[in-house]
Amino acid sequence: MTPSDSSPAIVLDDIYAAYSGRPALEGVSLEVSRGSFAALLGPNGAGKSTLLRIVLGLVEPVSGRVEVFGRPPGASDAPVGYVPQAVSLPRGFPISVAEVVLMGRYGLLGAGRRPGAEDRRRSAEALDQVQMGEYAQRRFQDLSGGQQQRVLIARALAGEPELLLLDEPTGGLDAGSRARFYALVCDLQHERGLTLLCATHDLDVVAEHADELILLDRSIRLQGPTREVLHDRMVAQGYPVPADHRHASHGHGPDHHHGDDTGPPTP
Amino acid sequence: MTDFLSFGFLQRALLTGTFLGVTCAVLAFFVVLRRMAFVGVGLSHAALGGVAAGVVSGLPPLPAAAVFTVGVAWVIGWLGDRSEISEDTAIGVFFPTAMALGVLLISLSPRYQQDLLGYLFGNILSVRAGEVLPMAAFSVVTLGLLGYWFKELLFIGVDEDAARAAGLPVTPLRYLLLTLLALTIVAAMRLVGIVLVSAFLVIPAATGQALARSLRGMMALSVTSALLSVAGGLWLSWLWDLPSGASIVLLSAALFFVAVGAGRLRS
Repeated sequence: MTPSDSSPAIVLDDIYAAYSGRPALEGVSLEVSRGSFAALLGPNGAGKSTLLRIVLGLVEPVSGRVEVFGRPPGASDAPVGYVPQAVSLPRGFPISVAEVVLMGRYGLLGAGRRPGAEDRRRSAEALDQVQMGEYAQRRFQDLSGGQQQRVLIARALAGEPELLLLDEPTGGLDAGSRARFYALVCDLQHERGLTLLCATHDLDVVAEHADELILLDRSIRLQGPTREVLHDRMVAQGYPVPADHRHASHGHGPDHHHGDDTGPPTP
Repeated sequence: MTDFLSFGFLQRALLTGTFLGVTCAVLAFFVVLRRMAFVGVGLSHAALGGVAAGVVSGLPPLPAAAVFTVGVAWVIGWLGDRSEISEDTAIGVFFPTAMALGVLLISLSPRYQQDLLGYLFGNILSVRAGEVLPMAAFSVVTLGLLGYWFKELLFIGVDEDAARAAGLPVTPLRYLLLTLLALTIVAAMRLVGIVLVSAFLVIPAATGQALARSLRGMMALSVTSALLSVAGGLWLSWLWDLPSGASIVLLSAALFFVAVGAGRLRS
């Protein structure tokens, strides 16, 4: 483990980020405790994805300090899993579900090393954990959007992460599917002792599971334990949840099906 | 067929075409996965600028084209990393610029215009004995590198952000792929010419994708279709006195349409 097991999983201290001179994050400071589920909420353009990409080390902030398990992003010994909004493949690309999940092990293998039996076993376990085991040999693209998201979670789990970052993982899914998705994520968090940071619009659904809410709109508007934040009138005043947020579309790839089921699969 | 193989120049053409065909087919797998077909078109036309610079300056045209095309590939990759300019736009700038440079340089030395035709349309039948071994060595090294980094290149092609999050060396591998693509284009100019080489970097993999149900199947069908195209195209060009490069590419395209038809019938 990194410097101290009691240190927060994520520390952002006075982060400024910009794209082409246009500010994306301004003075963002936050801490996410180990083993907690933090939900990052905000409208489109609030900087949620930028914040996640900074934690992943994909975006360099203009200024500020970032630590993941006490070290700079990418330097931590603790594996970090990432679940994107969707994966866009060329139409008809014949990659199987099992092959997608196995990719989660690639970061643990060295260059030139092929995945072995142990890697395949771990991948199969991860797929079973998201209740998609019987889909292992199906083509990834033949799955619904919700099922694909489960597979992407399995891919992240196969890498045995201590921190899991999810970037609007339920965009395009219906309300029931979103609820089942977060219930699954929450179960996995407790089973594996994961730290979760999830960017989402789903305040109503994610609030049932998250330990902490972070309301972001370039800067942090509100942050704290879920119950306290929900009882704070600032949610309604400074952070209205759009009435039609269930139908919001957030730029999925061509292979991402909308409004489908993430529940237990029915082959 | 025995007569066909009794000619030394045809044996050399078949041997060289086999090595380059397999290399193109394996690269084509990644070109299709990463949707880099336009990169292939851009680089193959940019190679004309390098050939022209070599011809006019008295340098060996192929090494000159290799240096020039790799340089263009790196600039395209570098610009593509910048959010201000997309990779497509960068190619759209370099494609006509490099071609215009080639045309301008050649116009300054009209006596070399005949040489240029050989690079534009290819003439695999003119491969000399001393060229077979370097071509074979180039193919073996390229295939070795692609094989060594296969799983990483696959992950990057499927989900670049997740590959970065997993700690894979995404940027160096992107440049490696661009470099191999540029060098293969230059090497394959002898096979099918600048005008047609980009087709050979897409069609075999597209043929494989149309029929295959797995990644292994796609790769195997891609390589098989490339080998059939080279051998069959050469044989047809010998039989009916047709241009060898055009025969190879047309046969490759015919196999693609057969594969698409067979795929549709099957589904």
